[in-house]
Amino acid sequence: MHIAEGFLPPLHAAAWTAVALPFVAVSAWRVNRLMRDQPQVKLLLAASGAFAFVISALKLPSATGSCSHATGTGLGAILFGPSVMALLGTIVLAFQALLLAHGGITTLGANVVSMAIVGPWVAYGLLRGARRLNAPLAASVFLATMLGDLATYAMTAGQLALAFPDPASGIAGSFVKFVGVFAPTQLPLAVIEGLLTVVIVNFLREYSGDELQILKFPSQTVAVEARS
Amino acid sequence: MRAIDHHAWTNRWRDWHPAEKLLPASGLLVLTLLLPPLTIAPLVLAGTALATVRGAGVPLRALLGVLAAPAAFLLAGIPFLAVSVDFAQGFDLRLSSEGLRLALTTTLRALAAMSCLAFVVLTTPLTDWMASLRRIGVPAGVVELILLIYRLIFVFFERALTGHQTQTARLGHSRVDRSVRSLGLLAGNLFQRALAQARRLEIGLLARGYAGELRVLAPRPVLSRTRLVAGMGLVGLVGAASSLLARGFP
Repeated sequence: MHIAEGFLPPLHAAAWTAVALPFVAVSAWRVNRLMRDQPQVKLLLAASGAFAFVISALKLPSATGSCSHATGTGLGAILFGPSVMALLGTIVLAFQALLLAHGGITTLGANVVSMAIVGPWVAYGLLRGARRLNAPLAASVFLATMLGDLATYAMTAGQLALAFPDPASGIAGSFVKFVGVFAPTQLPLAVIEGLLTVVIVNFLREYSGDELQILKFPSQTVAVEARS
Repeated sequence: MRAIDHHAWTNRWRDWHPAEKLLPASGLLVLTLLLPPLTIAPLVLAGTALATVRGAGVPLRALLGVLAAPAAFLLAGIPFLAVSVDFAQGFDLRLSSEGLRLALTTTLRALAAMSCLAFVVLTTPLTDWMASLRRIGVPAGVVELILLIYRLIFVFFERALTGHQTQTARLGHSRVDRSVRSLGLLAGNLFQRALAQARRLEIGLLARGYAGELRVLAPRPVLSRTRLVAGMGLVGLVGAASSLLARGFP
């Protein structure tokens, strides 16, 4: 759920941009150093970024008949790790604003916080946690993606609630309102995206163990299994 | 997606220096965010629509298509700005005039801001933005990464579309469960191909002496001061007109 251009009051838009900036800057610095040391990483990241964009443009089937899009945050976090996702996610979100008119430039910061920072970190943390508890890979990937997605939506609802507190019941009431609007559409979508990511990860483990090894990003949990 | 990119490359103002379009559009965007939406938003909408359709010769349909994209978001969010909930006495829903006003101003502001963005994306190809990215301090390597992603998006999109068509032809999307499976296979395949493409690109570039930097000749459009000053003047005029109007009806 991208917050549309101009939807947030200017102060909020600026504040969220300020929150996102350090994360993205650190990520850009890291990725830049990685690319300088190994030039081939640049092409790998470019291919991955373009892949993430195309995945997010794929229409997901949904039970209610309406169509919606995958966020790809869970898959990105699993494959590349959250520190790389902050930059890749920002680039993808900017392209979505400029090529698809989803989201916007003034709300880019807010969207980056929910989709390129909070979502990936939650998904990644859950995946690591679940793997440490020896949960089966499919279940861990499903849970990580689904809850990562839900964290993204909750963050978006929180951003909207902060910007538009309810006149009677304040920020909390407004949060309940926005969660209420999103829940009927986003809950089934999160489940579908979770299932979808399990299919993708299973496919990749079966047919591209080598490629997963090249990635060498923090997704060791997946890569190690692919090797064995 | 291709519609936006297509118009960006083919409109009448394509060869103008990007600053001549980016600066006035940013000016309008700032005005939209800072001034009261009731008076500034209609003026900005009219201005950007005129510039896009009359000036750059982009069909009105394309502009409306871009503006329709955030409409779903507005439709979902706006009614809930107008309605207020109160938990103090059980669950109380109520329509307040204050809420209605907030919903109206937010919609207007979002639409006007969106029209500024629409003007820029429909008249300026993405590659023209890259020079300004360097200027605001984005590392050269990251800018190059962005350019590569831009190029590869279209390559992969083509493949995703073809793959989706063949799956549909084989009834891969006839039921929701099949659809999820098909999409998963499609995405997995795409990822494999993306990595293979990256490797081929790397080998091809290495054979041509790639050392971590792609050097390309970029066309250098001349900055026309007249056009830039005229554009900014019009933006100033819009701002002044809006302030006058605002004084008219408080």
